Amino acid sequence: MNDQRATRVTAYCVALATFAVGLGAVLGVRGPLPALAPLLALALLHLFAENQLTDLTAELGSSAGVMLCTAAMVVFRSDHSALGVFIVGVAGGFYLPQVMKWEWRKLLFNCSMFAIASVASGLVFWAITGTGKASPGLLLLAAFPTALVYAVANVVMVSIVVMLATGQRLRDVISVGSREYLVYFPFALLGVFLGLLYLDYELALVPLFLVPIIVARQAFSSYLALKRSHEATVRILVGALEAKDPYTAGHAERVADYAHYIGLELGIPASRLERLRLAALMHDVGKLVVPNHLLNKPGKLTAEEFDIVRKHEDVSVEILTRIDFLAPVAPSATSEAAHFSPVADDRGQPVEPHIVAVADAYDAMTSTRSYRRALSQDIAFAELRKNSGRQFHPRVVDALISGLRRRGEVHGAGHELFVHHVSAPRGHTGSAGLGDLLPEADDVAAEPTGR
Amino acid sequence: MMKDWVRATIVAVLTALAASVAELLDRGGSTTALVVLTGFVALGELVVLRPPHRAALPLAYAFMLVLVRATSPAECILAFAVAELVVLPLRTEAWSERVRASVEHFGAGIVALGVYRLADSIDGLSPTPRMLSALALSGVAIIVVHEVSAFSRSYRLPPIGGADLALVASGMLMAIGFRGVEARESVGLWSVALFSIPLLSAWYSFERLAVISRTSAQTIEALSVVPEMAGLATPGHAARVADLSVLVGDRLGLRRRDLDDLRAAALLHHLGHLCLDAEEVRDRPIEPAEVAEKGAEILRQTDLAKAGDLLATDDLHLGGQILRVVSAYDDLVTSGTPVDTAVDALYSGPGFVYDPRVLEALDATVAPSAVSPVGATAG
Repeated sequence: MNDQRATRVTAYCVALATFAVGLGAVLGVRGPLPALAPLLALALLHLFAENQLTDLTAELGSSAGVMLCTAAMVVFRSDHSALGVFIVGVAGGFYLPQVMKWEWRKLLFNCSMFAIASVASGLVFWAITGTGKASPGLLLLAAFPTALVYAVANVVMVSIVVMLATGQRLRDVISVGSREYLVYFPFALLGVFLGLLYLDYELALVPLFLVPIIVARQAFSSYLALKRSHEATVRILVGALEAKDPYTAGHAERVADYAHYIGLELGIPASRLERLRLAALMHDVGKLVVPNHLLNKPGKLTAEEFDIVRKHEDVSVEILTRIDFLAPVAPSATSEAAHFSPVADDRGQPVEPHIVAVADAYDAMTSTRSYRRALSQDIAFAELRKNSGRQFHPRVVDALISGLRRRGEVHGAGHELFVHHVSAPRGHTGSAGLGDLLPEADDVAAEPTGR
Repeated sequence: MMKDWVRATIVAVLTALAASVAELLDRGGSTTALVVLTGFVALGELVVLRPPHRAALPLAYAFMLVLVRATSPAECILAFAVAELVVLPLRTEAWSERVRASVEHFGAGIVALGVYRLADSIDGLSPTPRMLSALALSGVAIIVVHEVSAFSRSYRLPPIGGADLALVASGMLMAIGFRGVEARESVGLWSVALFSIPLLSAWYSFERLAVISRTSAQTIEALSVVPEMAGLATPGHAARVADLSVLVGDRLGLRRRDLDDLRAAALLHHLGHLCLDAEEVRDRPIEPAEVAEKGAEILRQTDLAKAGDLLATDDLHLGGQILRVVSAYDDLVTSGTPVDTAVDALYSGPGFVYDPRVLEALDATVAPSAVSPVGATAG
């Protein structure tokens, strides 16, 4: 983030906080003061939820927040104490790691955002339900527009910050991830229940309410932890296996990263993205059964040698097939599945093989191999574009290029992480991977990505 | 096979149909709610929490608590029976297993009903605490039946955990919300639907956890085959050594975690061979110790560090001893040595001193008369 953007973000956070403080002051002076016991209980619960349920809420948005703020609206409904809802909202903004590091802009923003969203949605809720006795059905019904207002307030305030920080257009920011706000609705309904339970039984039933949520959260964090640990383990194992060959060290990891960029650009959902990353990491694992002297042979391979090298694709497929989670994308390891054919109807066909193929070809072109030096990024892009729609899937090529540009990443000649102290011959653009090693020119079409 | 959501939809549609009929026949009566609750129990039989190392817990347990409190004993028993019968053809296990599950869950429901009625009839408590404790006891009764049934199958008591608590807590809330106590608010079936949300997110989390655990285990198994495909070990060597090592380890009383590490180490004990620097080992034979040390070095950088320790040649853990004995044994047997002479050969092996405890355990495990504790060792 450059200085100008940082200043804008700071100004925005301060402005939002000023508005929130003003709002709180007006509510405190003019409105009724909230009852202390429910205020403390709900504020602490909100604080706890935002701090303890972060793993789960990363996928569910701030659904715990909407639940507790709705509960506060139900509890403080009898006297319309908006200050109560305001304070419960503010409590959710104190994310302790940010407090410890004193990231004051984030704290200001979060506290203000929660407070403003809660009060705005609370006014809607009370406008519908009034102060007198209301049937649970009406309260539940009112939760829908309430959650909608909460979500809209949330989206607008967060999107503006993202826009200021990244320089993207507001429209683009809002369209990303708006689907996750759907979970606000069931959680707002749960909030109505929590509020009713509190009114009827005070704190007695709150622990019962928290147990399943905490259990879900713990299971989800174990899942996240195991997922990270698994990917790290595969990275290290595959990295160690590649390390014996200086030319391809880090190849799988880079291909996984590029595949991830492409997947993000194409809007592939999270679970498939996870699958794509792991498959990309392991796409070349079959290469391990190919003797090193063939992999790095400087010069053309004989037909028999070429067959042996080709066999590694079958081994890769077999290994991926043994893993249930990766089996659906096991063809990613073959050049046939990855070869884009403009004639064939590819609807219903998984896009993953094409992603791995493009990521693989790009990395092959931009890193030095035993038979040629790395090409520049511009040449690699030009080569991908040239074959886009013929050999490579056009959407995938575009996604890689825009994904790399968005991140400002440059690879290829002059930008390699590993500098080889070997004199590899300079290659021409046709040699994506095996390129020069192919026995005959007509085989180039059959072995497009040259793994 | 039918997809999960198809089976759930079938139950939901059946429930909706039955509820419409009930509403027509008994307008304003309690039959509709009874039918819908029965549908919830049936749906809950199809959505199952699968915490690691725990017999699967159906969401039906939570919905049963609502029926136990809200209906008469006869209605309750009828509802449980109908729900279990409806899902019987929709379960995916073998038929004997389906029947066992249905009978077990039906039994758990009946026990819960009995405990609730008994606890609710105790005088001397005011209505709210009495109802709460009766519901809690009833929920505990379901879990106890579940435990006893699991014990009768595996002779091991699976640890009770958060998933059990979550089911009982949600069931209690549903039961209270369905019909309030002492003229308090009640929201009927809404409470059952909405308190399912935390349970469903728990279910989702446990499913994702199960997928990644399985992926992790299968990845290690898949990688274990690579040295064999490269011709560096006999086909199936890693899997055989892993299975036998776990059996021997279990016989020697290793804990589950240690058995998991032993299994991973056994599966990957040849992987180091593939990682040796090609230049360094060119034109000379590779020593087994080199392979083991390389494997240990790599695994120690990962979360499988304990498994890496077992591979190290200077390792004195029991697991490491087991792995070396079993690997040598498998080499002997695959090269044609008969089973009984293979163990004897290891006792007097030239140049090696194997741990006699491990040799005894191996002898007992591979002896033709040995009763292997099947199912108890699955890592």
